[in-house]
Amino acid sequence: MQTLLDGYDTGAFYDEMLAAPGVPRPHYERLAARLAELSPGELDERRRLADLAFLLQGITFTVYSDTRGTERLFPFDLVPRILPQGEWDRIERGLAQRVIALNLFLEDVYGPQRILRDGTIPRRLVLSCQAFRREAMGVEVPRGIHVHVAGIDLVRDSKTGDFVVLEDNARTPSGVSYVLENRAVMTRTLPAVFQQYEVLPVDHYPTELLQILRSVAPRREDRPSIVLLTPGVHNSAYFEHSFLAQQMGIELVEGRDLVVDADTVFMKTIHGLRRVDVIYRRIDDDYLDPLVFRPDSVLGVPGLMGAVRARTVALVNAVGNGVADDKAMYAWVPTFIRYYLGEEPILRNVETHVCDDPSQLAYVLDHLAELVVKPVGESGGYGLLVGPTADARTLAGFRERLRADPRNYIAQPVVPLSRVPVWDADAGKLVGRHVDLRPYCLYDGDRVTIVPGGLTRVALRPGSLVVNSSQGGGSKDTWVLRGER
Amino acid sequence: MLSRIADALYWIARYMERAEDTARILDVNYYTLLEGAGGANGVGWEPLVTLTGERERFFARHEEATARAVFSFLGLDVENPSSIVQCVALARENARTIRDRISREMWEALNGLYLDVTRLDVDEVLAAGPHDFCTQVKAGAHRFLGVTDATFPRDDGWHFLAAGQALERAGMTARIVDVQYQWLAPDGATPDTDNHRWMAMLESVAAYEFYRRTYHTRIEPARVAELLVLHPHHPRSIRCSVATLREALRAIGGAGPDDYASEAERLTGRLHDGLKYDRIEDLFARGLHAFLADVLRTCRAIGEQLARTYFYYEVAT
Repeated sequence: MQTLLDGYDTGAFYDEMLAAPGVPRPHYERLAARLAELSPGELDERRRLADLAFLLQGITFTVYSDTRGTERLFPFDLVPRILPQGEWDRIERGLAQRVIALNLFLEDVYGPQRILRDGTIPRRLVLSCQAFRREAMGVEVPRGIHVHVAGIDLVRDSKTGDFVVLEDNARTPSGVSYVLENRAVMTRTLPAVFQQYEVLPVDHYPTELLQILRSVAPRREDRPSIVLLTPGVHNSAYFEHSFLAQQMGIELVEGRDLVVDADTVFMKTIHGLRRVDVIYRRIDDDYLDPLVFRPDSVLGVPGLMGAVRARTVALVNAVGNGVADDKAMYAWVPTFIRYYLGEEPILRNVETHVCDDPSQLAYVLDHLAELVVKPVGESGGYGLLVGPTADARTLAGFRERLRADPRNYIAQPVVPLSRVPVWDADAGKLVGRHVDLRPYCLYDGDRVTIVPGGLTRVALRPGSLVVNSSQGGGSKDTWVLRGER
Repeated sequence: MLSRIADALYWIARYMERAEDTARILDVNYYTLLEGAGGANGVGWEPLVTLTGERERFFARHEEATARAVFSFLGLDVENPSSIVQCVALARENARTIRDRISREMWEALNGLYLDVTRLDVDEVLAAGPHDFCTQVKAGAHRFLGVTDATFPRDDGWHFLAAGQALERAGMTARIVDVQYQWLAPDGATPDTDNHRWMAMLESVAAYEFYRRTYHTRIEPARVAELLVLHPHHPRSIRCSVATLREALRAIGGAGPDDYASEAERLTGRLHDGLKYDRIEDLFARGLHAFLADVLRTCRAIGEQLARTYFYYEVAT
């Protein structure tokens, strides 16, 4: 009988499910057996049901380049991505180490600047960073936490089979709502597979986040007033904002709902103004306060930074975190770990050429066609160059841009990302596609909590290495199996 | 409760009420005309355009008020902000901005209706019989009201939903009565007694059986007006809607029984007293059209005052 995995091509990459054609890795065996029982028609029917569930619940995102400005489904693939707990434990330790080091770096760079003064990292590189906020200098943040929430992007390098860090997101990483919704839809769509595995739960994320939000409230109140500040319904991550607010039972507000009076933040209710203690903001620094940052921002709250400085309100994440996740700074994170913690990094970085350094720039220009070039301050996969697939004109264009503004770029070798099987509805079969992994890390000032797994993003276009939802990516449920090595 | 959330709830209720009311009117009108009750003396589809207040927009786009043109305009036209499809889309868009404050069932009811009625084509709808479409809209609206009743907490948000629905409904019934009376009895004294049309009007506000039970007489225009304007218990009468509105505003404002907390509440109370103590003969004597125009003006003022007090008040900093 023809089964779903017959003729599946593992290609020249690390395939997470199959060690060799027809031979599943041990932790995928039960899934492979279950898939063998399903016909392509049955799997496709379940995919349609899953899509319908997402559509009816309005779990959608907005694509900015799409002129219709409409909502689109974030494609969800039914085949789960599975990690044994033994492998996950090491990832978790590595992420915790990294988040704590990033936080220490921010506490230092907006405070005594020890790491700059003793010349461990070049002062110029930090101060020239676009996301460095002078306005945050000397601002004491509650409990010394800058990075309350971090999303660290990992990829598995096909050459070694190991996970490495691709980039850090210490500002307002999004996507965690998909982790929770994917799991909810998955348990309803393929319940039988769940019964054969012990999958670590993920649904405690909102509770953990709420704990942290409560802990940074400046007033010692029994019930601090906590809000999630969203740019509004047209933001691509709006669904997530409302989802998290609902899960945590906190108020979802827009800038126009808030006012600042005497360095104190209030929200406008039907019965007048009510004080706000903690703001989980999902608005970039630039738009937070038109009096301090971009004056044309209509999303923010005039006077907000005054209240932050007066310590009457706590911002989560803190202002200025972009200096830690700038892609040029990324190359220095292993240095931070050694410098602040006296430890060796548990998770490796991808080899990175910082174009700001003239000798590294020269190397990058010579090897452009082999490299991936990224603007340092962008996210969402915008403005990338993938050298090996670019045409001559694109390469020439990037050469010019690199020479004109080297500080704005880094380059990395193309990492051959691992692949997992994905259901291709058009072809009616499973095909290998590249994936990354974004775990969500919560830091409470003492320890880092990470819900097991995270968001697995899939590059759905054949051969593509870009997994961002804005660039045709989809997602998968990610399982960490209790006790398995 | 955040002002913005109260604002959104209020408008969700208004838009859903408008969608349902429009579906009712379209449905009844379509089948009444099929039975040949219109036509002869020019009564047809045009009153429907008039009562939605969109004459100008309609005649800019259509030469004649044919069944197809009116159905398309009031039912499916995305350029008409009062069309059913647009009302549903706007209700859903408001709901999207407060997803965290409404239950999943409420959202799914709204979003489901939205997904069902957008992308419909007027020819398909007319070919299938417009009744299916109207029933779908009514059923969708009722599903939303039902899950709202079953899942929404009885807090201020509930009262804003109630206020939006009641205010919209009062205005809609006032317009239905007004247009019908103007059309059929231009002088206000000798209303046409064509049974069909009066029955259709009663059916469009779900009051036909109620009328029969209440009056035990043939359909008399004055009694129909009495029922739709002054009846204390029919849920679509103006008086009953204004009473609901008054209760909602009282609950929101929190003033005692002898007092009021907002200008909106004061206007509503005064309007309600008129409806409570006036008799239909008094209204005919003063001119029904003038009275209804006054009701509509007051409804508009109540809406404006409500927004000024609770949604868009000035903050001095």
